[in-house]
Amino acid sequence: MLLQATTTTAHNIGGPGTAYLPVMVFFVFAVAFPVMPLILGRFLRPWKYGKDKMRPYECGIDPETGAHDRFTVRYYIVAMLFLIFDVETIFLLPWAIIFMGKDFSFTLFALIEMLIFIGILVVGYYYAWRKGALEWA
Amino acid sequence: MTPQLSWYLALSAMLFTIGVVGVLIKRNVISMFMCIELMLNAVNLTFVAFSSFFHDVSGQLFVFIVMTVAAAEAAVGLGIIITIFRNRESLDVDDASVLKL
Amino acid sequence: MSLIALQATNPDINLTLIAPELIIGIAGVLVMMIDAFARRGQRWLTGGLSIVALIAAGGASIWLGAGWRGARSAFNGMIVLDDLRLSFTLIFVVVSILTILIAAAWIDIEKLPAGEFHALLLFATCGMMLMASAGDLVIVFLGLEILSIATYVMAGFRRTDVRSNESSLKYFILGSFASAFLLYGIALIYGATATATLPGTTNIATIAGRLNHSLYPPLLLAGAAMLLVGFGFKIATAPFHVWTPDVYEGAPTPVTAFMAAGPKAAGFASFMRVFVFGFPIATAAASTAGYTHKSWLGTLAIMAALTMSVGNIVAIVQNNVKRMLAYSSIAHAGYALVGFVAAGAATDAEQRSAALTSVAFYLLTYAVMNMGAFAIVTLIARGNDRRTAVEDYNGIGFLSPVLAFSLSLFLLSLLGMPLTAGFMGKVMVFTTAVRQGYLWLVVIGVLNTAVSAYYYLRLIIVMFFRERNTPWDAPRLPVSVALALVITIAGVFYLGLFPGRVLNAFGAHPSISLSIR
Repeated sequence: MLLQATTTTAHNIGGPGTAYLPVMVFFVFAVAFPVMPLILGRFLRPWKYGKDKMRPYECGIDPETGAHDRFTVRYYIVAMLFLIFDVETIFLLPWAIIFMGKDFSFTLFALIEMLIFIGILVVGYYYAWRKGALEWA
Repeated sequence: MTPQLSWYLALSAMLFTIGVVGVLIKRNVISMFMCIELMLNAVNLTFVAFSSFFHDVSGQLFVFIVMTVAAAEAAVGLGIIITIFRNRESLDVDDASVLKL
Repeated sequence: MSLIALQATNPDINLTLIAPELIIGIAGVLVMMIDAFARRGQRWLTGGLSIVALIAAGGASIWLGAGWRGARSAFNGMIVLDDLRLSFTLIFVVVSILTILIAAAWIDIEKLPAGEFHALLLFATCGMMLMASAGDLVIVFLGLEILSIATYVMAGFRRTDVRSNESSLKYFILGSFASAFLLYGIALIYGATATATLPGTTNIATIAGRLNHSLYPPLLLAGAAMLLVGFGFKIATAPFHVWTPDVYEGAPTPVTAFMAAGPKAAGFASFMRVFVFGFPIATAAASTAGYTHKSWLGTLAIMAALTMSVGNIVAIVQNNVKRMLAYSSIAHAGYALVGFVAAGAATDAEQRSAALTSVAFYLLTYAVMNMGAFAIVTLIARGNDRRTAVEDYNGIGFLSPVLAFSLSLFLLSLLGMPLTAGFMGKVMVFTTAVRQGYLWLVVIGVLNTAVSAYYYLRLIIVMFFRERNTPWDAPRLPVSVALALVITIAGVFYLGLFPGRVLNAFGAHPSISLSIR
């Protein structure tokens, strides 16, 4: 399936080097976008440091404890939820590749199937919501 | 010298063994859990190596399934670990001895 | 490459063939939604919906067995339809319905979230069904994980109790450890089944055809060994049984009942399908296939003998009833393995089918009597699983006659008294083993049954003939548990007196896994 997809693109656009050109351009932009402001900022900003300025910022008041504290259990629950919903999207990748098939005969079925899959994920998300896993208090 | 299939297999066998040994000798639940994840990822490496060597995608699809299963397992495992930590404030398996082994 | 492209456009989808799994899966999602949105008074809905869905799934699988005339495999061989699958699906349905009935009272007493429990149970059932219907190692793994992940949570369901936490943690660590072994075995077999022209495969029927063309036979043997370890952990056979007593003792009693009956049967279903059909008996003993078959069968016979002996001998010294029943469940896995060995050794399809049917029947009888026994243990243990020691059963025989007499019946059935289900199950399994020439294994089995008489009868004697020093307040018998008891007692007598009907239903169609592709 994967092989089939790459060969068809190669046929339309050209050699394998040019086929990945958009990806490379995207990659360059993706790297440049966060890095450029950092570099620019280094040259544009004024250089003034003081003791107060270098202190950890905690909503404007003086920090009371060290940074190496035990975190509240809420972080773990959010991390767990993120972990699950993040990884489930992996199934979109192979689906996207076979989505069109050879002659679109499979497309409607694939679309419905994926909607069901996402629907189940939404049910899970709603369940977590209703059960209060997303409340922060 | 181009990479051979056997190199990947040897590497994944080593990683798997490290995971097994880790689960058996580590005493902290989180470390044991990380070793289990290492075992699963060693298996993934085997699958990908075979898959690439055979020019067959079914092995790679298996890897997708293993990754999602590992994520679900991780979520459940962390949940269990959090409850046990709330009740006893320790993650050492030697302390988990209400039930005799 | 062209083969792959062809598969992509021809996915071989047949939703009818996975109807039982679909029903259970949809019901599971619905139960989750009801649990999230229903008001407090409507929570009983989840239990009712779960039972309706389970009955519907049972009906669907009976229909698939009796009325379905279409394809016997779907999704390019991922799902197969044969007796092995149908009989085990029915076992899972029975186990899950009984679990819901037994758990109903317990959920009330402990004030646990019923909806979550029922959703998890349904997902676990879906996983078990997938394990039984898998024609491909991918589905075996997927079903196993759906089952295991739900069961890990169920074992830790009493969140505030340290014993339940520990049970869940141990089950989780050792269960995922075993899954990793199983998975490594699958990966090695995927690599080892490649031929000079074809890529490797995880389809069980295709594996059987590739054994003699394997480019790396050692890899094949290593993979089979890893699978043996992984499945051995899951069904708790002797060298890999150490986790069982701890997990079974710490888990809430209804969950223990479920774990001893359901996941164990599901493990057997996959284990038998992978080994009996994936590494079948070979005509040429000197070939790779013959060597593989001989090695796993020999190992399994030894494991069966060990499992029976260890389970029964260690059960003698237990002072906690749940722990004793845990060791008893190990021993019963050993008896079932005897039938499995017979199925592996059978040379023709008919005898193999008979042996597989005997194992399925044995696991059904075990499920029924075991669930019955645990139902009573749940009632006597009360809130928080407080009273599970043997002393807590002192002299309750004539104080709570209903409980004591039913528990005695289940214990006698577990022991294998004639006229009960346990006897019939043992007879079936041992007969097939004798027919395949495993007389020594049967002798060990019978000797073990004699040993097991000690601890089963001890509990009966404790109940009826020992003085009680502490006051006894008889537990109220809730309607749901009473219903479960009626079903299990009727089942024990029905399966013990008239096993023919069930055996016929379990063995009506010989297995077709070999004929695919």
